[in-house]
Amino acid sequence: MAVIVRIPTPLRSLTGGNEEVHVEEAGTVSDVIDRLEVKHAGMKDRLLDDKGVRKFINIYVGEEDIRFLDGLRTAVKDGEQISIVPAIAGG
Amino acid sequence: MGLTAAVIGVGGLGAPASLALARAGVERLILIDDDVVDRSNLHRQILFRDADVGRSKLDATVDSLRRAGLKTHLDPRPGRLTPANAAVIDGCDVILECSDNYATKFLAADVARLRGLPIVHGSAIRFIGTAFAVSGAGGPCYRCLFEDIPPGAQAGCDVAGVVGPICGVIGALQAHLALTAAYGTLISLDGLRDELRVRSIPARAGCALCGSSPTIDAIDAARYHPVEAEEN
Ligand SMILES: [Zn+2]
Repeated sequence: MAVIVRIPTPLRSLTGGNEEVHVEEAGTVSDVIDRLEVKHAGMKDRLLDDKGVRKFINIYVGEEDIRFLDGLRTAVKDGEQISIVPAIAGG
Repeated sequence: MGLTAAVIGVGGLGAPASLALARAGVERLILIDDDVVDRSNLHRQILFRDADVGRSKLDATVDSLRRAGLKTHLDPRPGRLTPANAAVIDGCDVILECSDNYATKFLAADVARLRGLPIVHGSAIRFIGTAFAVSGAGGPCYRCLFEDIPPGAQAGCDVAGVVGPICGVIGALQAHLALTAAYGTLISLDGLRDELRVRSIPARAGCALCGSSPTIDAIDAARYHPVEAEEN
């Protein structure tokens, strides 16, 4: 089992086009991002700055925004889905 | 219905939103745009015909809605919403933010909050789109969702492309949210998975716009540029 990370279109250039990445052995969202970085270098920088999650990106565990949970320390469980949601423009 | 709606941008989202609002019987539509119709717009900007290519989007929108015989009073206002030109929305009861760029989205969010007006944001690119309605009474607001403008150049629909029906769905949802006043609701459509998600967004206490000690209390033009890109 693993957590499933949904990758938004702008970041799929880092995942070889994959829209989902499975991450093993992660206890928190922070762990998930570290594991993502190992698999797909550059991901961490796209998601985080020195203050935490970048201001125009939301990270959801299931249906919950981690800013309303424990932030990067939010626990994740096997089988859970993590969504990365960047602001989009266009109309 | 004695409602006046201001539609910022009469493109892929603004066209279906305007049509839906007019057909729903809103009394007045303030239409704001500074662009001309391009042939590449026609697949999604449903009020325009081939013969409209090269015309002002406002003129073409007004003609199209008039041809439909709708009674809605149309109030076209050429130009853009800019920090110096927020008066372009004067007189509206609700704002539909149908623009194609972050600066206008954040500016419209701030103008709406500072004036106490409800706003419905819409965005669409490639296969995805979102609509989000914000109350005039406060949060959750667009800055609860996204705190600031992304750095660097953005890929808009002119570069990244957008599927026409995604715009149609999101623009219609914006009109729907404006009429139902379903504030705090974020609707996102993933056209590749055929998934429509409806989330209730909580207000963020630390939000710079609607939080408990807001720092955005006036329109400052310097705020509507992308945040500094980190050096890589
Ligand atoms: Zn807010």
